[in-house]
Amino acid sequence: MIWMIEVGRVCLKTAGREAGRYCVVVKRVDENFVMITGPRELTSVKRRRCNIDHLEPLMEALSIKSDATDSEVLKAYQQANLVKKLGLAPGKPAGEKAEPKAERKEKPEESKKAERKKPGKERKPAKKASPKKKAK
Amino acid sequence: MPRPSLRSRTLRRIKKKIPGGASVIHYLKREPSKAKCAVCKKELHGVPSRRPSRMKGLASTKKVPSRMFGGNLCPSCLKVKLKARVREKSVG
Repeated sequence: MIWMIEVGRVCLKTAGREAGRYCVVVKRVDENFVMITGPRELTSVKRRRCNIDHLEPLMEALSIKSDATDSEVLKAYQQANLVKKLGLAPGKPAGEKAEPKAERKEKPEESKKAERKKPGKERKPAKKASPKKKAK
Repeated sequence: MPRPSLRSRTLRRIKKKIPGGASVIHYLKREPSKAKCAVCKKELHGVPSRRPSRMKGLASTKKVPSRMFGGNLCPSCLKVKLKARVREKSVG
């Protein structure tokens, strides 16, 4: 297992709040730890140190240098055609979350009530948003 | 004797000492059972078991772990499932 987790390896995180998301190994820190990145724009896994027990390596790997930046990793993703294969949405951090936000902005503009009550304008979309989150 | 509806054990009883010195029984509704992992049936941490009215007052982050399948699977069972999913794909 240990030798399979090397620079450029695509992994699935299996622990913590980022469990179930893909990431790429960027650098080896020591025997047990590696630096990983989503990158955040792609899979919303931020650049961080990670225990290799919390990673499950895939067969896919990217050709990147050790300590590569996020933009380099993104390019390597697109070259390897992994974005479609893994079902990732580029440019939208945590793909699902990005869309409802756009809807919320549109609604207060359309509704006449928001225009009448100017002080309440900022609060209203936040209240509308909360039941949506619970429903998910 | 308490009134008939309070004689069954559906309600929880708590003995209280009131300021006058007398002891009184308070009747409370029982709280729901604790959340358990769907696979291994162990009790889940970080998932409070309250009556719906009290759950309503909690923040959404305090009701359930923010992990995938939080509040449904325990972390070790999740790990097993995620690993199995990856290994299926890599073989087939």
